[in-house]
Amino acid sequence: MARPPQQPQRPSQRGATRQNHSVQQKPAWRAQGFDLKLYLRQHQAFLIESFTRLIGHPLASIMTIMVIAISLSLPGGLFVLLKNVQSVTDRWEQQSVISLYLFPSLEDTEALSLSHQLSSRADVASVEYISKEEGLRYFEQSSGYEQIMSTLPENPLPIVLKVIPKAIVDLNTLPDLQTLRDQLQSLPQVELAQLDAEWLQRLATMISFGERFVYAISALLIIAVLLIVGNTIRMAVESRRDEVLVMKLVGATNSYIRRPFLYMGFWFGLLGGLFASICILLLSWWVSAPAARLVELYHAGFELQSFNAVEIIICLTISAVIGVIGSWVAVSRHIRNIELQ
Amino acid sequence: MEIEFQRVGKKYESGHDALSQVSFHLRQGEMAFLTGHSGAGKSTLMKLIMMIERQSTGKILVDGVDLHTLSQHAIPYHRRRVGVVFQNHQLLFDRSVFHNVALPLQVSGADDDQTGKRVRAALDKVGLLGKEKLNPMALSGGEQQRIGIARAVVNKPQLLLADEPTGNLDPRLSAEIMNLFQEFNRVGVTVLVASHDLALVARMRHRVLTLNQGRMVNDGGFA
Repeated sequence: MARPPQQPQRPSQRGATRQNHSVQQKPAWRAQGFDLKLYLRQHQAFLIESFTRLIGHPLASIMTIMVIAISLSLPGGLFVLLKNVQSVTDRWEQQSVISLYLFPSLEDTEALSLSHQLSSRADVASVEYISKEEGLRYFEQSSGYEQIMSTLPENPLPIVLKVIPKAIVDLNTLPDLQTLRDQLQSLPQVELAQLDAEWLQRLATMISFGERFVYAISALLIIAVLLIVGNTIRMAVESRRDEVLVMKLVGATNSYIRRPFLYMGFWFGLLGGLFASICILLLSWWVSAPAARLVELYHAGFELQSFNAVEIIICLTISAVIGVIGSWVAVSRHIRNIELQ
Repeated sequence: MEIEFQRVGKKYESGHDALSQVSFHLRQGEMAFLTGHSGAGKSTLMKLIMMIERQSTGKILVDGVDLHTLSQHAIPYHRRRVGVVFQNHQLLFDRSVFHNVALPLQVSGADDDQTGKRVRAALDKVGLLGKEKLNPMALSGGEQQRIGIARAVVNKPQLLLADEPTGNLDPRLSAEIMNLFQEFNRVGVTVLVASHDLALVARMRHRVLTLNQGRMVNDGGFA
């Protein structure tokens, strides 16, 4: 094994110790240790590369992105609907009334003193005293039962105190009002305390039902998006099988091989979220006119709320994270199966 | 890089004994040929060194380190120290010659300056400097093989493995390729070339290891 004598930069191994040799062989970039700038630049390159790849197959990419967008716009749309229902009830500035039906045996003076006592409470705006006679008059006027009433030997109606709480009734104050109602109910003079916000209670129940419905739908559709992204990425990995094999051969770590696919999942998620946001904005715009008319019938000054900037950012973040997770699962499973042979 | 096989055996799941009781020692900076008919176990031996396969019995020491002690996680880093050239070039036809050769550097995290310099140096060595922007598809078989060699050496590996690198090349091109390996060996790279081209191997005048049905039947001078 004759060696030429002239090897200035790399002397014959016969002479050099292995230590020297390995130092010489060590590539310069490995000796530098971790380089954050380089690391970030590589990630940036991957980000751009994976986006270019997405554009490289426009039809397939758009189809995947649109499926993700549609899947995400359903829970997003329901969320907006819920938000609007809540906002309508929040703006429903209505005074509620708690009617206290006192025991018939109660004397007028006792009822009056209770009325004064209640009106001095901090959470009560005013108390209206309706005597038995006034009650009878109201009753006769409104019901048309004068004749029946006149046949009765005495006035069967109790004294009623109409307590008007300070708080305006809406979904937020409803629990407080219910507590107040319960407190008044427990007074010994009160036979029955009634809060005239039953419609609101029903609405509150429906909204909490609606919320759960939105959560369930969201969970299902998020799983769907995970599967869509996972499947798309799985196919992308399969179509780049040769590349994965060569990369493994030249010493790529699994995390390195995974990276472009994770970025692809990121883009799918982000763009899906973007299109979902656009869908929701368009949909809100489309229904805003009839919705405003509908609400105007009950209450003026309503404005349909769509996605605001913060919600769009949240939507994009969530969808991008879903994209990365979906692709992570698919890639990790799949890259392990592609082995050199 | 130094390689030592100690009574290494490889039995595939099918029950086929690809290698049995193979022992040899390839010293730092040495160049050797691995010959034998097809199916004699040449490729299996190379795969064991690359940790594409794991041996069933025996010990493989690389620079004194038992490969069996390396974890799955360490395999990529082990492979970065070894350059490989395969018969089917394993080039990627969706990118230029430059990017094919740059792959090992990108994988190990070299920056763009380093990559550019090293890729051009490697292409220069194999005589393809002017063709870095072309797609490998546009090049001849011999040129494609040389891209593969450039890719194998761009990382300045300490060991170069070549499995039938001249498989489908004519004798003149084959000789050129072999001369390239010899040049890398001259600058200190340990080289192991598997080839069944006995005439060519004989002309190169290097150590020859011969496998027959998975057994090392000859380890010595020239074939």
